[in-house]
Amino acid sequence: MRRAATPLLALTVGFVLADSAIVTLALPEILRRLGGTVPQVAWVLIAFNLVLALVVVPAAWVCAHRDPAPLCAAGIAVFAGASAACALAGSMPVLIAARSVQALGGAFALVGCLELLAAVAGERRGVACWIAAGVIGTALGPVVGGLLTGTISWRAIFVVQVPVAVLAVPAALSVRRGAVQRTEMQRPAVAPNVALLLLSAALTAALFLLVLLLVDGWGRSPAIAALAVSVVPVAAFAATPLARLARAGPRAETAAGCLLVAGGLTALALLPSANLAWTIAPQALIGLGLGLTVNRLTVDALRDRVPRVLHGGWTISARHAGVVLGLAILTPVFTADLRDAQVPAQEAITALVLDAPLPAQHKVALAQGLSDQLTKERGRVPDLHPAFARLQLGPAERPAAEQLERNLDSQLERAATQAFRNSFLIAAGLALLALVPMILPRGRVTT
Amino acid sequence: MTSAATLRAWAFPVVAAVLVSGVLGVQIANGGGDFVPARSAPPCAQRAVTSVSTGIEGLSERLVLMGLDGAACRLHVTREALALELAQSRTPTDAQVNALRAGLLEAVDRMKAAGTLPPASELTDEALDNSHLNGLIKAAIRALPDSLINSALKTDDVLRRTINALDLRSLLANLNDPNELSQQINAAVTKAVEDSLAARLRDLL
Repeated sequence: MRRAATPLLALTVGFVLADSAIVTLALPEILRRLGGTVPQVAWVLIAFNLVLALVVVPAAWVCAHRDPAPLCAAGIAVFAGASAACALAGSMPVLIAARSVQALGGAFALVGCLELLAAVAGERRGVACWIAAGVIGTALGPVVGGLLTGTISWRAIFVVQVPVAVLAVPAALSVRRGAVQRTEMQRPAVAPNVALLLLSAALTAALFLLVLLLVDGWGRSPAIAALAVSVVPVAAFAATPLARLARAGPRAETAAGCLLVAGGLTALALLPSANLAWTIAPQALIGLGLGLTVNRLTVDALRDRVPRVLHGGWTISARHAGVVLGLAILTPVFTADLRDAQVPAQEAITALVLDAPLPAQHKVALAQGLSDQLTKERGRVPDLHPAFARLQLGPAERPAAEQLERNLDSQLERAATQAFRNSFLIAAGLALLALVPMILPRGRVTT
Repeated sequence: MTSAATLRAWAFPVVAAVLVSGVLGVQIANGGGDFVPARSAPPCAQRAVTSVSTGIEGLSERLVLMGLDGAACRLHVTREALALELAQSRTPTDAQVNALRAGLLEAVDRMKAAGTLPPASELTDEALDNSHLNGLIKAAIRALPDSLINSALKTDDVLRRTINALDLRSLLANLNDPNELSQQINAAVTKAVEDSLAARLRDLL
């Protein structure tokens, strides 16, 4: 079991950090199945990240003063139990509560794993493994979640975590750390942690908003959206060898990373059409930026600081506080923009229906059907196809109706894309803001 | 730090900035930023109105679309906003009803001036098919020469009388009920034809 401890503990770190964004692609499906509003479903994400951000530093403090193995094992067990509860949740409040408990267990699991990986694999390799697992988990989370939602169900996201977590419990208990050493507490590294916070807030937009745009705005399936957003992790993996090749130094890497994330988000705000191909280059920029910054900033925040577990806790706290900050800033902006986009979208649709080359009786029937769909979708981007399916058209009228449906869908895609523009631009601003703590002169490590 | 290292440290963010500029440049060149919903035309702008339908249905559709334009211009709202408002609120305001009637009457004038109003004889057969008249009377009217029908009935006059006779408020309320709508319009057209013929007779006498 001790031999399997390293991969199992790394997998646990990956899963817990993936959970921050793993439900992103499932949110529209959860919204449909459990009901509620967009701000409510955002709490499925916010609750996890908020609890993790608040609990992880105290959890790290406890792990620094007690044997981390049983604490880590207990954390993983709680995480597994809460994951099962998430899978069985029948209502939004139950799911949000279970997500909070998941984060509570996840906090102990994360910081415990840092100590245990360092004990098993050695200080340098253990920490590197912990950081890499976190970056991979964060980048892959939405993709895995989307594929599971698309192929099985949103509940599968939580079911698959249970067996891995169950196996990781004995793995954690098998590791024995050396005697607890009393060391002085060093202050957390402010600059890299603040930069991590701001970048995480910006990356939330990339992962959360892009997925919502693809699934809810453009009507793509979660599986297709998952494949589309897989560009981010692929580019993130490419960043490390690229940085090694360039040997530009930590500051240059993080500065370039912040610029790439900000540029990618700006590019998402200026998409020329709803073709998925246009999202590839912006995502590649974001992925490269993610790979260059998060890894480097985490290493920077941990370097030469003791106790290691506490500073690891600070990086996790900063990242997840950033996610909460991003959601808190961006959710009201894009929900208000989506609401404001309804009138221009309705007017554009009305113009197309009035001028459509269809007999008047079909136009009236279509207008009624479209109105019913808008009412049924309660403010979400509607699926217009049922209104067209109800029309009794002759063969000569079908091509015009099909063209009209395509044109109406295009207007909806345009309205949705425009509604996300401000949020992407704000997120780009947050990524640029992350440059500030990196530019400021660094203080020395103090206790 | 050696000069090579300094160069590398500066070059890396510069390369990132160039990469970002390239992506943004390509996107903007392909219409990035202009991917927004189509804007409504100004309410008083002249618009070419067409219909795929022919006969009375085509004429009615063109009249309604032009009338909607005229009403929107009078109310200083876009045609689309007015259409949505009329469709969504079951109780149109007096101002909306008056603007719609004025818009429809103006549409008749515009079509007459443009010479796009069909002569009455072109609409007679279809009107008789939809009417509840006795079969003998229908046959008798169909036997009349077009010139006689056109001199007795002027399309613009019939349309104006129909528009004035229509209860637009209840017409808007019945938009989703084709039978009720058709009954209302038939009754208004029949009355307009009768009134027009009576007025013509009065003029002749």
